[in-house]
Amino acid sequence: MRVSIPWLKTFVDIKQSAAELADILTMLGLEAEMPESASFSGIIVGKVLKADKHPNADRLSLCTVSDGKEEYQVVCGAPNVAAEQIIPFAKVGAILGEDFKIKKTKIRGEVSLGMICSERELGLSDEHEGIMVLNEHAKIGSNFEDYLNSNFDYLEIDLTPNRPDCMSHVGVAREISVKTGQEMMFTHAEKRHCKKNEVDDILSVKIDDKNCCPRYVAGVVKNIKVGPSPDWMRDLLESAGQRSINNIVDISNYILLEMGHPTHIFDYDKVPSHTIGIRKAKKGECVTTLDEEKRKLTDQLVITDGKKPIAIAGVMGGLDSAVTDTTSTVLIESAYFDPITIRRGAKSLGMSTEASKRFERGADPKGVENAYWRVVDLLEEFAGGEWVPGMIDEYPKKFIQNAITLTREKIDILSGCEFSDTFITDTLSKLEIDVKNDGKNKWTCIPPSFRPDLEREVDLIEECCRVYGYDKIHSSFHYGGLYDLAEVDPEDVLSHISNTMSGLGFRQCYLNSLTDEKTAGLIGNNSVSMKNPLSASLSHLRTSLFPGLLQTVNYNIRNGNANVNLFEIGKEYNSGKEYGEVYHLTGVLHGEWLNKSVHNSERHQSIHSLKGILEALFIRLNVNAFNFAKIEHDHYDFGLSISLGKIVIGNCGKMKKSLLHNLDVDMDEIYGFDIELKPITEEMQFVKKYASIIPYPKVDRDMNFVLDQHIDTGDVTKAMKNTNSKILISVKPVDIFQHESLGENKKSVTFHLEFQSAVKTLEEAEINSAMNDITAIITKHFDAKLRD
Amino acid sequence: MTINESIASVRKSFRADLDSFPSDLREVELLRSKYFGRKGLLADLYKLLAGLSLEEKPKSGQAINALKSKLQIEFDEKVTLVNGDSQDADEKSLDLTLPGFPITNGSIHPLQQTLDEIKRIFKSVGFKVAYGPEIEDDYHNFEALNIPKHHPARDMQDTFFVEDDVVLRTHTSNVQIHLMEEQEPPLRFIVPGRVYRNEAVSYKSYCLFHQIEGLYVDKNVSMADLKGILDYFVKRFFGEGTSMRFRPSFFPFTEPSAEVDIWDKKRGKWMEILGCGMVDPNVFDNVGYDSSIWHGYAFGMGIERMTMLKYGIDDIRLFYQNDVRFLEQF
Repeated sequence: MRVSIPWLKTFVDIKQSAAELADILTMLGLEAEMPESASFSGIIVGKVLKADKHPNADRLSLCTVSDGKEEYQVVCGAPNVAAEQIIPFAKVGAILGEDFKIKKTKIRGEVSLGMICSERELGLSDEHEGIMVLNEHAKIGSNFEDYLNSNFDYLEIDLTPNRPDCMSHVGVAREISVKTGQEMMFTHAEKRHCKKNEVDDILSVKIDDKNCCPRYVAGVVKNIKVGPSPDWMRDLLESAGQRSINNIVDISNYILLEMGHPTHIFDYDKVPSHTIGIRKAKKGECVTTLDEEKRKLTDQLVITDGKKPIAIAGVMGGLDSAVTDTTSTVLIESAYFDPITIRRGAKSLGMSTEASKRFERGADPKGVENAYWRVVDLLEEFAGGEWVPGMIDEYPKKFIQNAITLTREKIDILSGCEFSDTFITDTLSKLEIDVKNDGKNKWTCIPPSFRPDLEREVDLIEECCRVYGYDKIHSSFHYGGLYDLAEVDPEDVLSHISNTMSGLGFRQCYLNSLTDEKTAGLIGNNSVSMKNPLSASLSHLRTSLFPGLLQTVNYNIRNGNANVNLFEIGKEYNSGKEYGEVYHLTGVLHGEWLNKSVHNSERHQSIHSLKGILEALFIRLNVNAFNFAKIEHDHYDFGLSISLGKIVIGNCGKMKKSLLHNLDVDMDEIYGFDIELKPITEEMQFVKKYASIIPYPKVDRDMNFVLDQHIDTGDVTKAMKNTNSKILISVKPVDIFQHESLGENKKSVTFHLEFQSAVKTLEEAEINSAMNDITAIITKHFDAKLRD
Repeated sequence: MTINESIASVRKSFRADLDSFPSDLREVELLRSKYFGRKGLLADLYKLLAGLSLEEKPKSGQAINALKSKLQIEFDEKVTLVNGDSQDADEKSLDLTLPGFPITNGSIHPLQQTLDEIKRIFKSVGFKVAYGPEIEDDYHNFEALNIPKHHPARDMQDTFFVEDDVVLRTHTSNVQIHLMEEQEPPLRFIVPGRVYRNEAVSYKSYCLFHQIEGLYVDKNVSMADLKGILDYFVKRFFGEGTSMRFRPSFFPFTEPSAEVDIWDKKRGKWMEILGCGMVDPNVFDNVGYDSSIWHGYAFGMGIERMTMLKYGIDDIRLFYQNDVRFLEQF
């Protein structure tokens, strides 16, 4: 919300600079910022003399702009440009932003000598719907920077939703007064008395739903003249960012910004029934609102003329009953509507207005009357109106403010400070809370009606703390460990896995867990979808980490990054009876695992480099009982399952081309693996048992078998391990040799075997015997020949 | 042939083989076993020792040993030369200025590094770490945290709905409720996790991010304690000279509430880093803690934001783009 400093100064004396004021408000909980002071080069205040349609382009205007001395032809694309407007004018040679220099150009055949600027082009805001229109008193030809600095004396306040009372200049001034001790200079408009409530004869109000509309005040002012507002009012409105329209609309806006209470002014003659009803809309009813939109209603709270809706209560008035230049009698509405009703109504219509924002946060039920009298006063003074004596005050649900007890004990515990009794009493009183201190560490408090956020003891404690100053609360530190035997961090192990992966040459990724429907269906199923997705490309939760990683490989290769080995530890999501969130470790490899260098030639990634990485990973994670088995798999050209004991925990392989194609990935040689983490992390919990180091020597032997080409080396290795030899401690293939001399479709495989006994030095005979057993089994099972 | 003749013959044969040293690795290995293998020429020489007199044995044994180690050195040098590709024999002197082998580097994502660091700081002062679901019911994400339906506070967090009353959590505060439902006070936890906001993606906001929540419940807990822990955290994370500002704010689940800023010297302004406050008594009521006895504080911070401030990163999308040129800097 924009708060005008000159306006605030009409209510409280402010000696501080704008920056200091922003700081005071921020430290009170009203986060305030100064507008960024901009400096401009070559931008002046200009006036649009003429704005005609561009002869060669429908959406462009051909304007004549004056700088007070000369006239310039300018092509402008903004829809709101019009003759007589005072505007920021960037002449040829002016510089916008960092380095955008305005030059003489030709646009669609017409010469353009400068630019009429929008707020965004000037870097003042994100507003780019149209050009910025300046106050008509601005001096033509003067420097725009000077104009800005004198007219933009305001603060932007980012209000939290609990403080509707501060959505007004009086509210903000009150906060300043509480903190600085300067007295508030504001009194409500005086309540008028009359012998007879004449308005009763010409207007009636009927509330159907007292929960939605606990109070409705109405009255009539006749013989008004619609015209411009007085200069001081226009200036204040504009300094708070509100454009002046006419005296009637301005009065309502002025009161809204002054005391925060939304009022509405109807054209009395356009409500010929002279009846106001407040009820829920019926399905199918419509009303055209002031912004000329036809609104289809469902069950919003509406104001009716007794029959049909003429306004959406607390949100926006209707066009048909609006004040126009010919209006002479007006009907004033000042009401208190239920916050939830207004919020639901506005949300259901996709609307948010200055009025609805205030009502949904909680207006002041007692301010209803004050606002009415203020409207009457201003209409009489500045619109020549004549009050029809009386006020209709339908108040079916009386507002009751409960007393709150504040105790010394609670305020001491929560604040960690020791406030004096005087400080507490004074602070709360200045906030217009009705305080009674019984002298025995207890305060009985009745908050004012404009503070719906003060309901409980803690709310009052917060008031004391923030007025005292959070910066003055001391810092207390007394931490030690809790005596607690439970696991300190169940996911600590994930960091360990990440570190290990990083050590194996992988880069960790964090990927979006939202994806599109098609991708979510490529791998895995039962995806979880959003009812209100941000876009079609982010409509589902991912069912696999693969797509994101593969696309990241693609992104990196396209951007010239070679050798991309990536992994992510993240969740996959699914919907079944319950929603599932399952941690996976997924990785992809592309390119070389060893780059070419002066020492060596390059080595490509392959299924075996991947397997080697996974073997190293498991061993480092203390997960030893893993094994691989060949599988057919939907997303691999060829692949392996990964098991832990007998449980399959994942898979790996060369990613299928069709999958890569579906994901728009250009590369076709990418290897990947995917492992569910829970079985791994559970396995990691087991404490390793130490095995004593065997003091007897290991004996190495090589065995060379000629095998049929199609026989898997892994099967032979396994068969060797499965011979009942107690002394064979390891087998691995170390060489494969193919040559026609071996015979057709034959290969020679050299296995390296290690023998060792835990109890003695092995003798040659024992080793030979074990090797003979192995030879017998292998030659028999695999139709192999031992090569010497 | 005498033993000495045999030794000389092996030496001669070795020289000849060395001159025609093969480039094929397989043949190199064959050559290796020809001399050094179990049935190789050197082994044969040792066998000859058995037939010698006790006087000759040690002398000849030493001679064979000397030959073996000499041949071994020469053989290894030759192997190195051959493996060293096309290097000229004249350049065999060791060039220490060559780069090392091209070992592939991995890296830990900056968000993980920040997360680990924040966890380390809080663990060091006795906080445990808890986790919770991302797909959450409305009650745990909102209602129990004192954010009723149709309350303007819901506008503070744009929400993704999976069902009418199931959401992608908008903060990690849902875990506060789970923790307090499951455990009796006192409590001291931090809760990291992924959270979602239905906001347009830009350089300053993403549709998801990571938070760390803190929750401390005990009998006597004050704003001063909250300020103390955050002061400690900020100094450890951003450095001892960091200025911190603690100012009033509003969150439905804390009262009083505060926001914490740190002074950014480069930008010359205060930068918000986290929201916090004293646990709202309504929250205690919702989980069945007696709010006249138990008090507590809670805080929540964005891991992305902390990382951006710490390293001077200006676009949140970089974290999810995973460009290697970005990742390799951490």
